[in-house]
Amino acid sequence: MTHAYNRVQGAAREYGVFARKLRAEPLRQVGTVVAPDDDLAAAYARATYDEERWIEMAIVARDQLVTLWAPGEETSEA
Amino acid sequence: MSLSQLVLSLADNKQLLGLRYAEWATRAPSLEADIAAAGMGLDDLGHCRVLYGCLEPLGDDPRKSLARDSDPTAYWSLPYFDQAFPSWSHFVAANAVLDTAFTALIQACVEGSQEVLQTRLRKMLMEERYHFLHGRSWLRSGIDPEPLDEAWRQAIAWFGPPDGELAELHGKGVLSLGPADLVARVSERLEVQPPKLRIDWKGWDPKRRREGKGGGIDQRTFDMLRGLEEKRFAPAGA
Repeated sequence: MTHAYNRVQGAAREYGVFARKLRAEPLRQVGTVVAPDDDLAAAYARATYDEERWIEMAIVARDQLVTLWAPGEETSEA
Repeated sequence: MSLSQLVLSLADNKQLLGLRYAEWATRAPSLEADIAAAGMGLDDLGHCRVLYGCLEPLGDDPRKSLARDSDPTAYWSLPYFDQAFPSWSHFVAANAVLDTAFTALIQACVEGSQEVLQTRLRKMLMEERYHFLHGRSWLRSGIDPEPLDEAWRQAIAWFGPPDGELAELHGKGVLSLGPADLVARVSERLEVQPPKLRIDWKGWDPKRRREGKGGGIDQRTFDMLRGLEEKRFAPAGA
């Protein structure tokens, strides 16, 4: 579910933050940030989750995820 | 002005900018902006440390002839940083215009002919990318015009006169850009035109790179820079 945020800059979106430390490991979600645009979300993600030596970090707006099913919903196999 | 004097001005401005950012780490409009303010402050304090370390390899450290323990004007920072930012608009204007101006000069150093600057300053450009994204995004959301105009004014003054020594360093290839190119670079990156300004270069201070000879950082900040401020919290007799 995507929450609607209203901050100083107006409507903001939630972004998932993904990162990995090794080439051999997949990207995993390390947290989220809330921002009104991609640029600010990138700046916030870097500032908030910079404590590890990540070799890659990426963000994606939660409302851009195509959800197949979510907790509490029936799976396609049910 | 020598190259090391220019680098000292850059280092002092980075130190003060980092300190002013950090002062907003619990006052910004959102928790994410708090963290960004703290993170950018830490970055700029780290950058100033690297820049101070470049002074000796450049041939002379101008701090040796300055009374930095007793004279606040021995810090060659801009008037914009003399006091804490009084509003979030001041923070954003500094973040967008002045931080980008400092980065433009760093890039001109990295692309210039001095090897020590080419190698040691390159990493700063990567870190500054996120300062830029932060500043530009907040700038686009709209801020008060007064601090924005003032930040532009001080950035243009900091780059110096069109025929000044920064222009000479550009002419020698030490810097890849001259004063007008640097202003254009900041404007291009921010996608904003600078206000039409007339700088009185006759009254310009060539060392502190600011208009007028007076002014300086406030006493509390000066104490903090010298490590005196925390003594207020030390145990009696320490």
